[in-house]
Amino acid sequence: MSERVREALYHALLWLVALVFFAPVFWIALSSFKTAPQILAVPPILFFRPTFANYARLFAEPAFQHHFFDSVALSVLAVLIAVAVSFLAAFAFSRFRPGATNFLMFLLLSIRMLPGSAAILPVYLMYVAFGWKDSFLGMTLFYAMFSIPFSVWILKGFIDGVSPRFDETGIVNGASWFSIITRLTLPQVFPGVVAALIFNFIFVWNEFLFNYIIGGINTSNIPVMLATGLSNGGGIDWTFLSSLTTVYILPPILMVYCFQRYLLVGMTFGTVRGEV
Amino acid sequence: MAGSAEATAATSSRRTLARGPGRGLLAFLGRREVLPTALIAPVLIFFIIWNTIPTLWLLGLSFYRFSLTSGRPPIYSGFYNYTSILNDTSTWFDLSRTFIFVVLAVGIETVAGFFLGLLFWGSNRLPGRRVALTLLFAPMVVTPVAAGTFWRLIYDPTFGVLNWFIRSLGLPAVRFLSDASVAFGAVLAVDVWMWTPFMVLMTLAALASVPKAELEAAEIDRLTWFQRFRLVILYHGKFILMLGILLRTIDAFKTMDLIFDMTFGGPGTATQLIAISLFRSAFESFNMGSSSALAVVLLLISIAFTATFLYVLYLRERRTSDA
Amino acid sequence: MSKGTDPATGVWTQSAVRERNRVGRRRLIQGSAALGAAALASPRYAFSQSEKKSPLAGKSIHMQILGIAGWLPSKLGVDMSPEFAKYAKDMYGYDVSFSFADAPFGTLFQKAATSLATRSQEYNIIISDSQWLGALATPKWIFQVNPIIAKNPELNIEWWSPSIRSSYQVFPDGTNKLWGFPQVGDVYGIFIRKDILEGPGEADAFKAKYGRALPATWEDFEAMDYEEWTDFIAFFNRPEKGYYGLAAQYSREYDAASCPTMSVMRSLGGDVWDPKTGQVQGILDTPSNAHAMELYKAWLKYQPPGATNYFIAEVIDAFTQGKVFAAWQWVATGATMIPPNLKDKVLVVPPPSFKRADGSRVRNYIIGGQPWVINAFNDPEHFQVAVDFLKWWYLPETSHEYLMRGGMPCDKATCARPDFDGINPWNRTYKYMLLRSSDFWHDPKYSEMLSDQQDAFTGYYTGQIKDPLHALQWTACVQQKILYDEGTAMKAPTGACSGIRL
Repeated sequence: MSERVREALYHALLWLVALVFFAPVFWIALSSFKTAPQILAVPPILFFRPTFANYARLFAEPAFQHHFFDSVALSVLAVLIAVAVSFLAAFAFSRFRPGATNFLMFLLLSIRMLPGSAAILPVYLMYVAFGWKDSFLGMTLFYAMFSIPFSVWILKGFIDGVSPRFDETGIVNGASWFSIITRLTLPQVFPGVVAALIFNFIFVWNEFLFNYIIGGINTSNIPVMLATGLSNGGGIDWTFLSSLTTVYILPPILMVYCFQRYLLVGMTFGTVRGEV
Repeated sequence: MAGSAEATAATSSRRTLARGPGRGLLAFLGRREVLPTALIAPVLIFFIIWNTIPTLWLLGLSFYRFSLTSGRPPIYSGFYNYTSILNDTSTWFDLSRTFIFVVLAVGIETVAGFFLGLLFWGSNRLPGRRVALTLLFAPMVVTPVAAGTFWRLIYDPTFGVLNWFIRSLGLPAVRFLSDASVAFGAVLAVDVWMWTPFMVLMTLAALASVPKAELEAAEIDRLTWFQRFRLVILYHGKFILMLGILLRTIDAFKTMDLIFDMTFGGPGTATQLIAISLFRSAFESFNMGSSSALAVVLLLISIAFTATFLYVLYLRERRTSDA
Repeated sequence: MSKGTDPATGVWTQSAVRERNRVGRRRLIQGSAALGAAALASPRYAFSQSEKKSPLAGKSIHMQILGIAGWLPSKLGVDMSPEFAKYAKDMYGYDVSFSFADAPFGTLFQKAATSLATRSQEYNIIISDSQWLGALATPKWIFQVNPIIAKNPELNIEWWSPSIRSSYQVFPDGTNKLWGFPQVGDVYGIFIRKDILEGPGEADAFKAKYGRALPATWEDFEAMDYEEWTDFIAFFNRPEKGYYGLAAQYSREYDAASCPTMSVMRSLGGDVWDPKTGQVQGILDTPSNAHAMELYKAWLKYQPPGATNYFIAEVIDAFTQGKVFAAWQWVATGATMIPPNLKDKVLVVPPPSFKRADGSRVRNYIIGGQPWVINAFNDPEHFQVAVDFLKWWYLPETSHEYLMRGGMPCDKATCARPDFDGINPWNRTYKYMLLRSSDFWHDPKYSEMLSDQQDAFTGYYTGQIKDPLHALQWTACVQQKILYDEGTAMKAPTGACSGIRL
């Protein structure tokens, strides 16, 4: 009995923690069903008749569809490219351990160290000189580059955990290296691949600065639309902000929900391959 | 190189498990002495185009006086940009503010994340665990622009829900973002809210890497809780935890959007982190030369930090594995 | 991108935007493939191509305007552009379509500059903030418009006030070089809740307390100076009833704290710099200016907690949600400041005058508003359309239409209309204050100087810095150095500046 109660209390505590962290997000989502005066109302309104006008307005906006499409295309393409090339490199680092492995791994991580506003500066000047500003490909490849270091690190950890015996068996049986990489190794590091995809996806999905500076009308994602669209008539358009944020947060949240298992395993950097 | 490696991938993908070495280019790339280079090449090419070239560019420009809006070409000025940055007291204020921010943010996130992670460890029987964890991780995926703007509303003394709570307790409203002595803590709290879940995630991963058998053995040996924690949990989970701390530190050092949308670095300079001043100098003032110099300084700081961190991490690793 | 608040913006269809994008991308690639060839698109070449007849007849052209996000006057410029399309079809025989890109005040210059630096004609016409003229003109990113005016005398317009020309057109200050045309004029006004002001018993209570009549008419407010205003907002500061006396701008964002502060400084007889010599020290860091900061800070007493974080948007929320009795605000926000539920309940009056040592009462405020500027990298066709567009914009009919939709034209003909004052509640104040407002720096180093100044001013307003004179001395040192390094200022910062810190 007391065991049961204790477990119930424990579970209640866990839920409480989760809800506390979720509360601000919930507040944004709740606001998206309010009218502007209701959002600013004091005392705050918890129970009200929801309005869907904010969403109707948002979905009717051609710019929304355009930017949403750009967001999806940029994030998906960039992380796929990044994870693909990272996987190949991680395999090489893990299996062949070329002389400079540690140094190269460190160098890769250094990409992530530079503050965005520092990294954007030379990239901006370079894009201007090469005429890549506001080009979709230029933007995608840039994001791919930014997603590479983390992907290489995760995937190398996972490949380290796959016994080289598999390769040897493959070679003995006459398999090509390509088959060994894609057919023998890849399936075993799947959680790492998923974790790398999701983490980088979240980064690219929410990226604002680079998109704002080196992007343009062809490449603007939703964060840029949020930043420019939130002012209206000199004031802040709270209904626009809350409804767009809510819509935009759904895909990554669904991803976290659906791939949670892989995400948790993925963050072990390959030290665990079972259930977490 | 990248093209050929991709081409290799494309052609091979059409085959089934290839028997024997392929022919031509494929065979060449498949050779043991070529393969590693071929596999790393795409990443290297990315690295060179999007990192090495811009970094060299940055380095070069940092020795010039160049303003985008002056209409004049860059003028070589030696170390002028560096000396004037380092002589500028505000640089040092911004840097120390950033340092405090990083230490506090990462410290709090690590401690809170670790304890919450421990709390969630072994919650396999929690009803709706997957939903609960998703909700817990949600702050990480909110667009910083939106999070910043909404937190401004939540913090607002007049309209904010937080101050409504405070006032209904009979206390005076707190000017979270407009009081110079509170603003720093307020933006720090938002960063903690956003990134503690990340440390929870890393802790859960770290705990998962602890072999169950050893834990059971520790229990049988009647080790105290602290001993179990130190000898078993930390021993196995340390690497992942440290990696989490490293990633968070790097990111906290770069914090910009979130704060920019809440306070614009104000009031006064209370929340002006170095990344914000750099952005200002580059894309508000368009001083490309001196901004480049500041960027180089920041890059050196980051590299020095990461190198030290990794060195210590690996050194410890080696020592413990020797023992 | 346009926002969906108004169905009228739907005019710029998605396909138009996409089409535009394709064209833009191709142009960008061509343009950048040979940077040297970009010289072909230089202003002079383009200009020689423009003829008075319509060489564009039969063509179809797409224009993109970059304006300020969510800013009504910018939006009007866009909303009205289909009318120009009709006009152009009839008058010149070409088809023109428009799309709109935008960015908030604080970041619009980034958006424009990062694009113009690539020599792109992505944004054919730009609505720029007036202080950016120098930063846009110096690298020759925008057309100098003198030759356009010479060729098109109808663009030689008589403005309502001399400061229109000096604020929205001229750079460098005091020269005859013109770079833009006023898109909207803007000034500070104070919005007052008339329903509260005229509440029962208020007049008697006020008279009993201060021994003078409660101001009621526009003329009453016009006569009021800072001290009288202080009593007035103190009287209506009623936190216990859920509203405060005033909301004004003190935020770190963009120029929020700077514009009102500099208005008080100049009204008191001070200034912020000397545009001729680039001198800041000795002009900005004076006791008089420090006193101005004290005066402006003193009003924080009658404002909601957190007012030091207020910029335009926060003032709007506070005022429209009934949290304040009065609001110091740019009048261009009028349509948002007076939503339908506050219609006829709001009075817009001039902000206070300030008593100078000689006893005179002066208003010398900072002007708001934005000019149109023309991208210098436009090809001849887009350049021609831009000029035609501006010619249309200043037609009396267009100007009137703009006025009726809530815009604020600057030409004398429209401003002098007898019905002008009655069209919108803020119009009278607008005209009055235009004669008493002018701009501050047009220097290319504008944003850098502003950023440091904002640090110092907001530092003082939020209590981080105790002594306003010290905040000014620091600002003066930093600005003097910026201008000296740039070659604008003749004198280097004085020795007192070494080691000075905020």
